[in-house]
Amino acid sequence: MSNSVSRREFMNLLGATFGTNALIQMGSALSLMPTTASAASLSLAAPIAGKGKVLVLGAGISGLTVAWELTKAGYDCTVLEASNRAGGRVMTVRSGDVVDEIGNNQVCEWDNEPHMYFNAGAARIPSTHRNLLGYCKELGVELEMFINESKTAYVQDDAMLGGARIRNGEMSTNVRGFLAELFAKCYTSAQLDQPFSDTESEKILGLISQFGDLNENMLYKGSSRAGYVSGGFLDHGIQKDMVAFKKLMESQMLGLSFTANEGETGPMLMQPVGGMDMVIKGFTRALGDKVVYKAPVTGITLKDDGVDVSFERDGVRQSISADYCFNCIPSHLMTGIPNNYPSDYFESMSSIKRGEAYKSAFQAKKRFWEDEDIYGGISWINAPIQQIWYPPHGIHKAKGVILAAYNFGGGMHFTKMSQAQRVEAALAQGEKLHPNYREMVEKPITIAWHRMNHMLGCSGRWGSGFGGWTDEIQTLFDRLQQPTPGGRHYFIGDQVSYHGAWQESAIASAHWALADMDLRARNMGV
Amino acid sequence: MKIILVWSAAVLICAFSAKGLAQAEDQYYNDRYCTTCHGVDGIGNEGVSAPRLAGMEPWYLQRQLESFRAGTRGTHKMDVQGSEMQPMAAKLSDDSIADIVAWVGSWEYKPAQITVKGDAEAGKSLYATCAACHGTQGEGNEAFAAPALAGQSDWYLKTQLENFKAGYRGRDPRDSFGSQMVAMASMLKDEAAIKNIVSYINTLGR
Repeated sequence: MSNSVSRREFMNLLGATFGTNALIQMGSALSLMPTTASAASLSLAAPIAGKGKVLVLGAGISGLTVAWELTKAGYDCTVLEASNRAGGRVMTVRSGDVVDEIGNNQVCEWDNEPHMYFNAGAARIPSTHRNLLGYCKELGVELEMFINESKTAYVQDDAMLGGARIRNGEMSTNVRGFLAELFAKCYTSAQLDQPFSDTESEKILGLISQFGDLNENMLYKGSSRAGYVSGGFLDHGIQKDMVAFKKLMESQMLGLSFTANEGETGPMLMQPVGGMDMVIKGFTRALGDKVVYKAPVTGITLKDDGVDVSFERDGVRQSISADYCFNCIPSHLMTGIPNNYPSDYFESMSSIKRGEAYKSAFQAKKRFWEDEDIYGGISWINAPIQQIWYPPHGIHKAKGVILAAYNFGGGMHFTKMSQAQRVEAALAQGEKLHPNYREMVEKPITIAWHRMNHMLGCSGRWGSGFGGWTDEIQTLFDRLQQPTPGGRHYFIGDQVSYHGAWQESAIASAHWALADMDLRARNMGV
Repeated sequence: MKIILVWSAAVLICAFSAKGLAQAEDQYYNDRYCTTCHGVDGIGNEGVSAPRLAGMEPWYLQRQLESFRAGTRGTHKMDVQGSEMQPMAAKLSDDSIADIVAWVGSWEYKPAQITVKGDAEAGKSLYATCAACHGTQGEGNEAFAAPALAGQSDWYLKTQLENFKAGYRGRDPRDSFGSQMVAMASMLKDEAAIKNIVSYINTLGR
């Protein structure tokens, strides 16, 4: 057999198959595994006498973090929140909740049971997000495992297999088989930088064989890993036919099962029992009446020794003076609030673009996915809904809440639709994954972050997207991370991080600001 | 800080009464959403491409809300900003519109910040045509259904002139007012002309 695939060609093929495209589509930089300092490193000094009054603008997780840490250190904190709820994009929808989308208010009419909820924003806690996990522990937020990948969930693409759905595990097994066969063929004559001994070569070929479940001739002819057609326990299992790689490679989602569950969205992931906003409730429980709701900020005036903030409550304008101000109002809303920020600071703020993510959910009349051996994880579809999430909680209960769409980039597709159009699109696309979908689901909830009141966008984006970081953007970012002159006002949140859309990023931003403020305060006290 | 404690207590009392909470929620979810996008007291917010409303004439605001609601404005695919506004207005009742118009009317006229840089002198001669309807000082004229231009967000004026010129606004057969502007804007030959005219408007009525 001639060996026509060179090593370079092989690497190019790999790059083309599993290249950056999939990563960009994922919407989060999966190759990143950022680490943050642990919470224990934050050791704040007590306030200097008469300098302990703090205003936090916005009860998002960064604002709550600041309020909680400074309260513990002895500061007098007040959090002003424009909405009637804390948490910002950490939002859980349950029975009776109002989804406050401008022009499209919705009331959630799902069964009122603890497992019947939908995390409309943040939904996963990676095990490396140690600060967030630290607060869960400190604030008594009970956690459980979140399942991101299920081998029995589906992948569907109109361009692949005539549009038929395929089990995630069947797809990945066949792709791995093909790759292993290719590895083996390449290896026999590969000109590697490091030569291997015969014993080592034997080990490597063994590994390649294991990786793809190759036969004794180092060929892939199907694998029981892809699942059985029938039998397996009391009858001999009938293995599924192998699916030719050529048929699978028609799909743009070919590399998904190798990228979607690696890095930050790889195991183990966690979620709070009862909904992600349990994290927020942990903070607000601890902060008590320090959080003031329905109090939109109407003006910010920086002074040499502090900050004046005006706000509205019950139609009445009020003003408070504070020694320090921490501000996590979304940058694109802050630009519509009168202020006396330095022009370069304001320019940085104005340069952040708003994210467009969209999610929706249904109440399922029955946990129909469990009848198909699915108990969590995600089905992927090459359609605007992109994903369907099956709840890993509430197993075997009568009903469940199923995530019906998660469009994380270019989410304006759904945002621009009417509620009826959004629902019909979710049903029509979901039917391709589950033929009985339309009959099984009801009571839709849609979350278009771009149109949610007091939010008007998902995670802030620096530059043109997830890539494209330039020196110019760096300058703008650095300017906004620093406090305003005099060190009395800090802009915080995941919008002031390199890694938007994660709670850990918002907390990291809050910790950065706290450490900087603490250092300045200590120096002032000397 | 004392005032806040009293409020919080009030909130707690409400929370104990389901009926009270429901009423509070009803009150909260009214249609007065304008300031989320259009800024405090309608000063405008370029960050979300929402123009200044502070000082806008009630008759003009009402007509635009009705146009958005009817879909005669903000439904062209290329009208990016208008298509954000349109669904927000789609559900407004006549009463809601009247309420909003009265609310917006309570905000003081406040000229928007100047952001467009063009040749105001060159724009002056171009503005002569506009002045016939919009007034020599950009003060507007209800008799001609021409809104005031002075003090409006200049980036917004620029976008609207571009949209009229390109046919993204004012081409709906039901939009007779807009169609007049399509004809007018088509006479502006390029972006520089639009910038110049907007720069001249920036010198008026401040």
